[in-house]
Amino acid sequence: MNQGGVEGGSYKPFTTSQIEMLHKASMKVFEEVGMEVHSQRALEIFFAAGAEVDFSTKRVRASEEWIMNLVKKAPSQVTLCGREEKNDLVLGGKRVYLGTGGTALNVLDIDTGIRRRTTLSDVRQTAKLVDALDNVHFFVLPVYPSELSKETVDINRFYAGISNTSKHVMGGVYSIEGVRKVIRMAEEIAGGKEALRKRPFISMITNIMSPLKMDGTYTDLMLEVIEAGIPLATPPAPIAGATSPVTLAGTLVQLNVEALSGLVLAQIVNPGTPVLYSVVPTTADMRTMGFLFGAVENGIMNAVCAQLAQYYDLPIYATAGVTESKLPDVQSGYEKMSTSMLAALAGANYIHDAVGLIESGLSVAYEQYVIDDEINGMVLRAVRGIEINEETLSLEVIKRVGPGGNYIADEQTYQYMRSEFFMPKVADRSPVTIWETNGAMDGREKARRIAKDILANHSPTPINQAIVELLKARNPELVTD
Amino acid sequence: MSNVLEELNQKVIEGKLEIVQELTRQAIAEGHDPEEIINQGLIMGMNVVGVRFKAGDMYVPEVLMCARAMSGGMEIVKPLLMGKEIVSAGKVLIGTVKGDLHDIGKNLVAMLLESVGFNVINLGTDITTEQFIQAIKEHKPDVLGLSALLTTTMLGMKDIIDQLVEEGMRDEIKVIIGGAPISQEFSDEIGADGFAPDGASATELCQKLLA
Ligand code: B1M
Repeated sequence: MNQGGVEGGSYKPFTTSQIEMLHKASMKVFEEVGMEVHSQRALEIFFAAGAEVDFSTKRVRASEEWIMNLVKKAPSQVTLCGREEKNDLVLGGKRVYLGTGGTALNVLDIDTGIRRRTTLSDVRQTAKLVDALDNVHFFVLPVYPSELSKETVDINRFYAGISNTSKHVMGGVYSIEGVRKVIRMAEEIAGGKEALRKRPFISMITNIMSPLKMDGTYTDLMLEVIEAGIPLATPPAPIAGATSPVTLAGTLVQLNVEALSGLVLAQIVNPGTPVLYSVVPTTADMRTMGFLFGAVENGIMNAVCAQLAQYYDLPIYATAGVTESKLPDVQSGYEKMSTSMLAALAGANYIHDAVGLIESGLSVAYEQYVIDDEINGMVLRAVRGIEINEETLSLEVIKRVGPGGNYIADEQTYQYMRSEFFMPKVADRSPVTIWETNGAMDGREKARRIAKDILANHSPTPINQAIVELLKARNPELVTD
Repeated sequence: MSNVLEELNQKVIEGKLEIVQELTRQAIAEGHDPEEIINQGLIMGMNVVGVRFKAGDMYVPEVLMCARAMSGGMEIVKPLLMGKEIVSAGKVLIGTVKGDLHDIGKNLVAMLLESVGFNVINLGTDITTEQFIQAIKEHKPDVLGLSALLTTTMLGMKDIIDQLVEEGMRDEIKVIIGGAPISQEFSDEIGADGFAPDGASATELCQKLLA
């Protein structure tokens, strides 16, 4: 069962008037400080659209009215499709989905537990795992294949993902030529240019650099994706105290400016193009300035960003469920749960990074995918909340059973026993003697066994063999297994 | 030690720029030797900061405030040294390699190096091999520090070291490398002199290499 799309929104760190304070402050930054844009093309596009552009300092400033007019052109709802319709994600409003994130460099080997460099095979295997996990709704390409060069990496990463899951595949991209090849490949698989635009089962990520900077190369990549009309996330990743103000409110002001910049550029170039309000709010450990992905403050900031997206009526790409821990352990459990829970309860739509990543995003672990699937299941259950109506208030049942009776075999218990509770697969709930008989396993070992079982037995819906042959013929660099 | 130098120590540790400058002037007026002011007032304070930072008791922003206070004092004493060079711990040329825009870690390393007395030239990000070589010829640093955060850019470090060998410059300079994907094995593989996993170890590594 794909439980994605449950409505969140019960956790609201800010009131509407506080959200407006953030908005107003961001608009002042747009007007008085602006963004530094290192792509000549983008500068010209901003200028032609009426922003105030200083070409010598590469600074783009704009008024609230100008910004908001463009924000209004962005779609309030973006559907990221799967290769199979059952996996479609309807982003917008307060609907919540969770999935993987990248781009890690190492993996804890599933057999030895030893940390090693990732390869293309890890892209395939993680995709296959995700395909089978119910509480993982999309696949952001999670690792970098260390054996591939920048020139061949884009098409191979995407192919490894697409061919091993029919869930939506999103990924970072490394070259313009790579972007073009990936889009052409996806068009072949979709059955044509139009077919892909109608049912986009891939999307891309190009970054904005905090503080307040759009890099030349990455902005040109961004423009390429915008012009192709492929769904896009343009996340900035400010680090409070390092690349944005140390106060969380100040970081949110700056982040909002950066997030809106990518979105606004997209709407100038290709009005209505599917782009997500994208955020990666982060922090640093003030003792060392080490980067933090799993801090509770990151979770609170993501929740506020969800409120901002709702205020602008935009679908949001948010970030949660990562950890600083080097292995699946207690720390990874509580860090992941706290940030994912906060973002989801706030109604963030597309919560990425929430599956598989450890070590501040530098590594992944197969068993962590299984554990995070379970965390997400709990998170989604919390988001769903408690259904309350005449029937669930159960007055009739309470009367029927009466004092001293029991509800175990009651009609209503039978009716609700599967839908009322989240049923974990990893958590051990048995008495100690049975737990001992079963091998006295901890959660990590149990999750590892589940992962191995999926990898051995699950078969994702394949891409049509004729299309695979065609792709191989067109792209000699394509590695198909 | 005299009162004013002890107080100077304390105020460097507290990171109080203006007070440090005021006390430095007072120490000069009281007739203290400039070198004594530097070594026993300013640097000794900074040494304490280093120890506390390593122990996790002081935070990075505090360390930088202390370093700023110390340099504020230095600027005032420097002209009195009458041409005598202040003993710099060494000159480090640092930059992020071609194609890579990550600069937070590299800047932090630069600031921490400065805080322990290195003279640092920070080239910025996305620096080509030619730019590094050019800058080395110009500044003649003791140490070249390379930073890379991407698997797609880390090989650029090898190109730079190879170029140093090619130009016959490799023996004149120590090369240290760092960044999230970098390991000691990689450092050995490409022939660097050392790898540092974080800012504090980068300063120790430079000190060790130049000792
Ligand atoms: C000279 O001697 C020395 C000695 C020690 C040295 C040293 C030099 N240099 C560093 N050290 C060491 O000491 C420092 C201080 O303790 C330490 O430095 P660090 O830099 O490690 O630590 C800093 C204090 C804090 N850490 C950081 O600043 C890096 C944090 C992470 C999250 C990160 C950030 C912030 C950013 N990123 Co980027 N980013 C990630 C990082 C993930 C991570 N967990 O590391 C990483 C490195 N990024 C990644 C990626 C993929 C990318 N990023 C990109 C962009 C960005 C931002 C602009 C958003 C931002 C950088 C902002 C900036 N001004 O630097 C893109 C590339 C841009 C480019 N061409 O460089 C882009 C390609 C994303 C995309 N698809 O568009 C991943 C690399 C994966 C790979 N295969 O290589 C990544 C691991 C995140 C992830 N899991 O996806 C040590 O490494």
